Amino acid sequence: MKSNASVVIIGGGIIGTSIAFNLAKLGVKDVVVFEKSYISSGSTGRCGGGIRQQWTSPMNVRLAMRSVELFKRFKEDVGMDIEYYQGGYLLLAYDEKEMADFENNVKIQKNEGLDVELVTPKEIHEKFPFMDLEGVVGGTWCPSDGHANPQIANIAYALKIKEMGVDLNTHTEVKGIDVQNGKIVGVETDKGYVKTNVVVNAAGGFSHEVGKMAGVDIPTYSERHQILVTEAINHVLDPMVISFKKNYYVRQTMHGSFIMGQSDKEPARGNDLGHTVEFLEEMAPKMVHDFPFMNHLHIVRQWSGAYNVSPDAQPIIDEADNISRFIFAVGFSGHGFMLAPAVGEAVAEMVVYGKSKTMDISNLKMERFKGKKISKERNVV
Amino acid sequence: MEGRIEQHPILQFKRKKKIKFYFEDREIEAFEGETVAAALHAAGIRVLRHTPNLGRPAGLFCAIGKCSSCLMEIDGIPNVRSCMTKVKEGMRVRRQKGKGDVL
Amino acid sequence: MNLYQAVIIGGGPAGMMGAITLGNHGVKTIILDENESIGGQLVKQTHKFFGDHAHYASTRGFEIAQKLDEEISKNKNIEVENNATVIGIYPNNTVVYTKDGQEHKIQAKKILIATGAMEKQLPFINSDLPGVYGAGAVQTLMNEYGIMPGKRFLIIGSGNIGLILAYQLIQAGVEVRAIVEALGKVGGYDVHANKVKRLGVPILLNHTIVKAIGDESVQGAIIAKIDDKFQTIPGTEREMVVDTIAISVGLTPLTELAEQAGCKVEFIPELGGYVPIRDERMRTTNPDVFIAGDLSSIEEATTAMIEGKIAALEMARDINGSDTKEEIEEELRTLALFRSGPKSVKIRSGLEKMGIKISIPTKPIINEKKEDVIGKLRAVLECDEEIPCNSCEASCPFGAIHIGENLNSTPVLDAEKCTGCGTCVNACPGLAIFMMKENEEESTVTLGIPYELLPLPEKGQKMWGLSKEGNYVCDVTVERVVKYPNKTNIVYAKFPIEFKDTVRHFAFPKKESPIVCRCEEVSLEQIEKVIDSGVTDFEEIKRLTRVTMGPCGGKNCKLVVLGILSRKTGVPISKLSHGTSRPPVKPVEFSVFKKGGDDK
Ligand SMILES: Cc1cc2nc3c(=O)[nH]c(=O)nc-3n(C[C@H](O)[C@H](O)[C@H](O)COP(=O)(O)OP(=O)(O)OC[C@H]3O[C@@H](n4cnc5c(N)ncnc54)[C@H](O)[C@@H]3O)c2cc1C
Ligand SMILES: Cc1cc2nc3c(=O)[nH]c(=O)nc-3n(C[C@H](O)[C@H](O)[C@H](O)COP(=O)(O)OP(=O)(O)OC[C@H]3O[C@@H](n4cnc5c(N)ncnc54)[C@H](O)[C@@H]3O)c2cc1C
Ligand code: FES
Repeated sequence: MKSNASVVIIGGGIIGTSIAFNLAKLGVKDVVVFEKSYISSGSTGRCGGGIRQQWTSPMNVRLAMRSVELFKRFKEDVGMDIEYYQGGYLLLAYDEKEMADFENNVKIQKNEGLDVELVTPKEIHEKFPFMDLEGVVGGTWCPSDGHANPQIANIAYALKIKEMGVDLNTHTEVKGIDVQNGKIVGVETDKGYVKTNVVVNAAGGFSHEVGKMAGVDIPTYSERHQILVTEAINHVLDPMVISFKKNYYVRQTMHGSFIMGQSDKEPARGNDLGHTVEFLEEMAPKMVHDFPFMNHLHIVRQWSGAYNVSPDAQPIIDEADNISRFIFAVGFSGHGFMLAPAVGEAVAEMVVYGKSKTMDISNLKMERFKGKKISKERNVV
Repeated sequence: MEGRIEQHPILQFKRKKKIKFYFEDREIEAFEGETVAAALHAAGIRVLRHTPNLGRPAGLFCAIGKCSSCLMEIDGIPNVRSCMTKVKEGMRVRRQKGKGDVL
Repeated sequence: MNLYQAVIIGGGPAGMMGAITLGNHGVKTIILDENESIGGQLVKQTHKFFGDHAHYASTRGFEIAQKLDEEISKNKNIEVENNATVIGIYPNNTVVYTKDGQEHKIQAKKILIATGAMEKQLPFINSDLPGVYGAGAVQTLMNEYGIMPGKRFLIIGSGNIGLILAYQLIQAGVEVRAIVEALGKVGGYDVHANKVKRLGVPILLNHTIVKAIGDESVQGAIIAKIDDKFQTIPGTEREMVVDTIAISVGLTPLTELAEQAGCKVEFIPELGGYVPIRDERMRTTNPDVFIAGDLSSIEEATTAMIEGKIAALEMARDINGSDTKEEIEEELRTLALFRSGPKSVKIRSGLEKMGIKISIPTKPIINEKKEDVIGKLRAVLECDEEIPCNSCEASCPFGAIHIGENLNSTPVLDAEKCTGCGTCVNACPGLAIFMMKENEEESTVTLGIPYELLPLPEKGQKMWGLSKEGNYVCDVTVERVVKYPNKTNIVYAKFPIEFKDTVRHFAFPKKESPIVCRCEEVSLEQIEKVIDSGVTDFEEIKRLTRVTMGPCGGKNCKLVVLGILSRKTGVPISKLSHGTSRPPVKPVEFSVFKKGGDDK
């Protein structure tokens, strides 16, 4: 562990390691990352791995599109195969109102240049004849959406940044941020103190708590989301399929297993809350209905992770204005994995140049919640 | 002496009703109450599947449903533990191909 | 949801005895067991048991099971649910199980987990071939179904299970070609060993299996002699014509459900691996959850039954205030008696680690003082056996090695005088002297070892650094090879300094690598590669290689992987993180949950 750091990143999840990777790429020396557990122990290691560009907020669409560019090059850039697969995303609509929303979304997304289209039940049936489409009135389809293995991606970043000279400390917990006269001077960990003037909060489910260490009140909280994986079978399902109405998402990994989840009716608040048998009972009937072949598919493991939720379900990427150099990239609200490459790039630029250069992400600042009406990202499971 | 044990100094095996099932379309005799894996062993069949990645033959290992080495396709359903599944009259059992097809 | 006063998971001797005790104290109890009938391991045992008369001594295992079963069926407080696989323990003591393709849920005031143990794995080349079985699988086929999986057997491991299996196989009329045992003595009881020896089965001590041979299934095996450092001795390999190989290298507790119930587990090898922490009366760190039998420590049916009884007595006290104090005291005394003999040394020291004391003979502490001369090339004497020999002292031209008058004394090095010439390495008949020099600036160490094999390595070659047990530790680079007329040459090689006390042999990299994780087909080599690339957290290794992520949930390979990691990093298994157990304990079809929970 170094005693002096140019930048300290708190959190070794996909966001923290992506930021470190981009800082190292920009030539920043003495970057130090602290991860209180192992790499991918947080939300990243528990997430569904979906990479989707079909969002209702233009900012989310742009960030996701930039990420897709970077995911395509991930293997060359970061040096590991992360099972990235562009099998598309299929979103299902069940009534005229939902369909009208979808039409509106497609307009917004096309405006950003996304290759998305509306599809009829007949077209869906032709693509995926094994699905039971009862009640489906239409959907949207984006072939360049896809998925990857988030755990391997996280570890790939970790191995790469170590190789690039970043000081990555796992099993090291940040206990406090030392602020003197409105300026950060260091970080206290359970393994010692590091001097630094720049701190990045990428603490995922613990973003609010880490914010408090610097006296910054970040309006995020964590809630439990449950998820399960099945045994592997030969490849059948290309896209991630989402039904907001029935409340599920499902995809087949490159390994052959299916990963799927939902939002509990009243998600429990907090981190590391375990799992319930009700989750299995709720998932089973709807999955077997829509995908009859799943009837005899075996569930191998269930678990849960935290969505770090912001008031408008969009990330908060900002630098505190009352103290000097406290930057945060938090509140990803269930879609931080897919945004990580672009967010890492933008935040690294913020650290080095004071603002992001590749993309303008100024409307992800915290001030958007001040007094104004919050316009919420709606496409969240 | 391979296959069904007929004489044993200590144990007596009370076999139940004789039934037939199919392994790779071949007719095999079994007794009710036997597991698929046991019945196949009685017929001298030990290779229960070929593994998906390396294509290696695999068979029974723990016999108590704990290791997943004995996965077979039974009545069209892949990834069934043949050591935990009782044979039934007319059952169709196949060596599993790859990870198993569901469609 | 149906509420029971007590739920017992697992109907082996521990669970059965627990049920009988609870029933006798008026507690409404249900036993869940995934088999067609209860009895656990006993069902497969055709031999007579040891023990005392109160605990069914000299009764055959399956007969004990029948007797207990009769008692249970007479007791109106006990309900038995067979073919019931418990897949998870959820909050509020909710036990979820599947039966006949349907999900069932029950709640209980107190839970007794007695799920027993499972066999340890032994990866060797082709150990995944059909015809290689766990000993228990052979017993299941043979003693439960009356089906014999082969004609000619090789058994790996001479513990009681391996010895008994050999006897049972011969009873069933097949041939047992040999039992191989890595250690220098038989693991099980002498009586069991004598039984099979009398029948002409050789027990090959200091032997191991190198590989199984066969294309589609086992047609033979290669075994070899190993030295006291567990390395195969070249030239001693031989082929055995066998068609079946049974592995019996020990059992390890099935802790998943206990972990899900929030019970703390710890790695205590003396007790069989990971075991739930519990008090003297079998209560775990979750006050509502008790354990008994092989799950608490790999032992015997007798102790399993006593533990089941103790747990049940304590549960009855909790549930309906039964006055069981005296009975508990009595059972604890009996248990202590069982564990006081020399065969229970391991169990006693394992329990001690948990804070449960049974008086054990104390050993004197030997105070070792080593003077290390870091950075200087010098001899390292690893001769701590008291052998009458002083060839090193005699060979040293500089008088740097002292043994003294008693030839049996172990040698001591005067590092000041040692010039690093290597003469003693070449002279030692035991190959127990090495040369060492730390290269601090580059964090490497240079080790010189006596080398009597062909081909001789060459300068610059990459080799494997092996441990004293012959296991791979790290890659090494050969620096120089010094040839001597007596054919004991010295090979010097360099490797990371962390392994200076671990690496003691160099070998050419092997091409074949055994499969460690059957579900995901991950080989030893793949796991080692990942560790070598700098990933040393079990959780990260798991995510990169998929070991333990398959359908068996790591039941088979987790301990093996932790062993590899421990060996390569030098961190003891007990200090490594080992993943979290999550439901379902066994793969379950979606259809089981389709109707939503059917309350029992
Ligand atoms: C069930 C589920 C499904 C999801 N599905 C998707 C999906 O399909 N697609 C998608 O894009 N996103 C998905 N997400 C969301 C995604 O997982 C997260 O948005 C993303 O992983 C956030 O990354 P992160 O690096 O911010 O957080 P994390 O991965 O949680 O990393 C934060 C790290 O900070 C560490 N930390 C916290 N406090 C401290 C401290 N004081 N000191 C040191 N270290 C600290 C934590 O240990 C943690 O490892 C899903 C999430 C869940 C739970
Ligand atoms: C070959 C051999 C020889 C032996 N010889 C002797 C001897 O001579 N003398 C002696 O005293 N002991 C002997 N033993 C040891 C003795 O059999 C065990 O110590 C004893 O059976 C342990 O009892 P148990 O109740 O803890 O576990 P087990 O007998 O293993 O019973 C556990 C039960 O739990 C069930 N179960 C597990 N998981 C689940 C789940 N998720 N849901 C539902 N049910 C579940 C299992 O199917 C099983 O029926 C021998 C063992 C073997 C294998
Ligand atoms: S042989 Fe192990 S699960 Fe069937």
